Amino acid sequence: MKTTVVLTLAISAQATGNILLSKGMKSLVVSDLAGNTYWFSLFLQAAGSPTIWIATAFLTLFFLLFTAALSWADLSLVLPATSFGYVVNVASAHYFLGEAVSPLRWVGTALISIGVVVVARSDTKKVESDRKKERIPTEVRG
Amino acid sequence: MKTAIAVLVIVLASSAGEVLIARGLKQIGEISTLQLRELLVIGGRILTKRDFLAGLFSMAISFCAFLAVLSWADLSYTIPATSLSYVISTLGARLVLQEKINPLRWSGTILVCFGVALISLP
Repeated sequence: MKTTVVLTLAISAQATGNILLSKGMKSLVVSDLAGNTYWFSLFLQAAGSPTIWIATAFLTLFFLLFTAALSWADLSLVLPATSFGYVVNVASAHYFLGEAVSPLRWVGTALISIGVVVVARSDTKKVESDRKKERIPTEVRG
Repeated sequence: MKTAIAVLVIVLASSAGEVLIARGLKQIGEISTLQLRELLVIGGRILTKRDFLAGLFSMAISFCAFLAVLSWADLSYTIPATSLSYVISTLGARLVLQEKINPLRWSGTILVCFGVALISLP
C-alpha cells in the first residue's frame, strides 16, 4: 500500500515535470549553429526560464519519492511500476502539448499498462506477507 | 543520428544511476517516517553514501542529455525511446543487486518493453 501511494505520487510529479520541461525547452530561441556556443546559449536560456525551474522542482519531487521507495522495495519492481508514467506522459503530451499520437502508440501504452499490472502482481514480498496472514506455509525459496 | 547518440547516453547513464542509487539506499534501510527532522537526518546519511553520490552524478548526466534532446525532438517520442533503460536496469538489479526476479516480473517487464517498442515507432 505504501509503495502504491508513493509511486502514484511520483508518477504524477514526473508527468507534470516532463510536460512543463518540454514546453519550456521548446520556447527557447537558440540559433541552429553547431558547436559550444549553441550548448552554452541553450543552458543559459534554460537557467533563466521559470517554467524550466518549476519543471525541475516537480522532477526533483519525483526523484525524492522514487529514492524513498527504493529504500524498501526492489529496483526491479519500482522501475517497471514507474513505467506507467509513460502512459501518463503520452496522454498528457497529446492533450496538453497537442502532439500527434498514432493508434500504434496508444496500443503501446496499453501494453505498458498491462505490463505494469503484471509486475505489480509479482511482488513476492507482498505475496509472502499475505500468505503469512492466511497462515499458509510459504515455500522455501532458493 | 544526433538523437540516437543522445538517447544512448540517457539510457546508459540513467541505468547505471538507478542501480547505484538503489544500492546506496539499501545500505540506509527502509525509510518509514514522515517527520521532517528524521527525514532530514536520513537525508544527511544518504548524502554520505558513495554509491548514492555516484548514482546521482550519473543521473545528472542523463538529465542534461534529456534536456538537450527535448529542445529538438517530441516528448512523446523521446520518453518512450529512453525507456530502454528499463531492460538494462532490470538486468543490473539482477546482476549487481542480486534481486530475485521471478518469471511473472520478467513477463511484465517484457510486456513493458514491447509496449515501449510500439510507442517508439514513428
